[in-house]
Amino acid sequence: MKNLGIYILFLFGFLITEPVLAQQHLSPARKQAIDSLAMEKVRDLSKYITIIGSKNTPWSEANRVIDRAEELFMPGSQMGVSSLAKPKVTYYSVRKYFERLMRLNYSKVEIEWYKINYVSDLQRQPDGTYVGVITIFQKFKGYDKEGRLIYEDTTKKDITVFVKRKQAQIGGRLIGFWDVLLGDVRVKETSR
Amino acid sequence: MFKKSLSLTTSYILVVVSVLILIGGLSSCKSKKKLAKEKVAAEYTARVQQAKKDLTAILNNTSPWPLKQQIKRVEVIKSYNIADPEVKGLITKAEEKLKSEQAVAARKAAEEKLRQAEARKQMSEQARFEHLNSIFKQIANAQSYADADDKINKALEIFATPEIPVLIIIAQSEGFNDYDRPTTIKKFLNYIKDMKSYDYRVDSIKKDVHGKITELELIKK
Repeated sequence: MKNLGIYILFLFGFLITEPVLAQQHLSPARKQAIDSLAMEKVRDLSKYITIIGSKNTPWSEANRVIDRAEELFMPGSQMGVSSLAKPKVTYYSVRKYFERLMRLNYSKVEIEWYKINYVSDLQRQPDGTYVGVITIFQKFKGYDKEGRLIYEDTTKKDITVFVKRKQAQIGGRLIGFWDVLLGDVRVKETSR
Repeated sequence: MFKKSLSLTTSYILVVVSVLILIGGLSSCKSKKKLAKEKVAAEYTARVQQAKKDLTAILNNTSPWPLKQQIKRVEVIKSYNIADPEVKGLITKAEEKLKSEQAVAARKAAEEKLRQAEARKQMSEQARFEHLNSIFKQIANAQSYADADDKINKALEIFATPEIPVLIIIAQSEGFNDYDRPTTIKKFLNYIKDMKSYDYRVDSIKKDVHGKITELELIKK
């Protein structure tokens, strides 16, 4: 009975300390796994932006994808928008950005993200959150109804990524997971 | 008189011849023993030299024999009870080396056995989940939104609800499963539709009494 008590105490202690241990003693293999996970979320965002911007995407699908894309971000995150015509970068909430993207006044829109790389590796912060910056290049092309290219630009953007260890109760089990959330997307430069 | 003298001479000669034969015989016997002794000594020396050669080869990893044969050879050399201190020293070293190699070989064999068992288990589990993986791949490869949605609706029938949890393992190390943020099957199926790729494999499932899946665990490839 005494042993059972010690066992329960040990188990309870382990459940409390496991997330802390998981953060503090992260092996290179596990660090690599969360690096890749964060990078994958940015690639997912890239795909979602392409879908939302595409005029071939049904309206209902675009709205569903906006919901999914919004879930990738920390609440209150902003997206920078630039153009060759206006030197000033305008920042919108991510939801508003996606809604504007869906309604862009072109007959055809092509958006491609490339050169997606870490510009600043994920670093552990005192509160246990890992923070890093991923840079991307976005190629935007807008066409008129005759299929003529009427606007194009290339924008370099920096995306802040936050990775935090969290727990969730799934089917009676306590599951520790890595929650990746994107922060502000800042425009670094825009060129033709 | 002459006859008596002859008889004495003959007897004398006989005695001398007998003595000579006896001496000669004794000398020959002594020589044979010596030869035998020398032969034994030569054989012993050859055995000691061979033992040293074999034991050195075993210690230097230059022996052509496999591990089992090396162990047998050391046992045979040991059975000779060679008093030579060098041979005794080599036997001790060879025994230690072979014992350690035997332990490594046993560990490797156990690991290989475990690996094969794991591979068999994984293959059998993969075969079990192949149908599910195939459904997911079909959704990812759908040609249109309508086609994908049709496949998603059919797929959802094998799950208890569209909200059942989906856990995605992103890495396995140090006894830990590292998971991505949990999602639901409906969201996951739409996700693979949007990404147009299925880079996972089913790791485990849980079912309810009606045979519907209530929990899905995937591993990221």
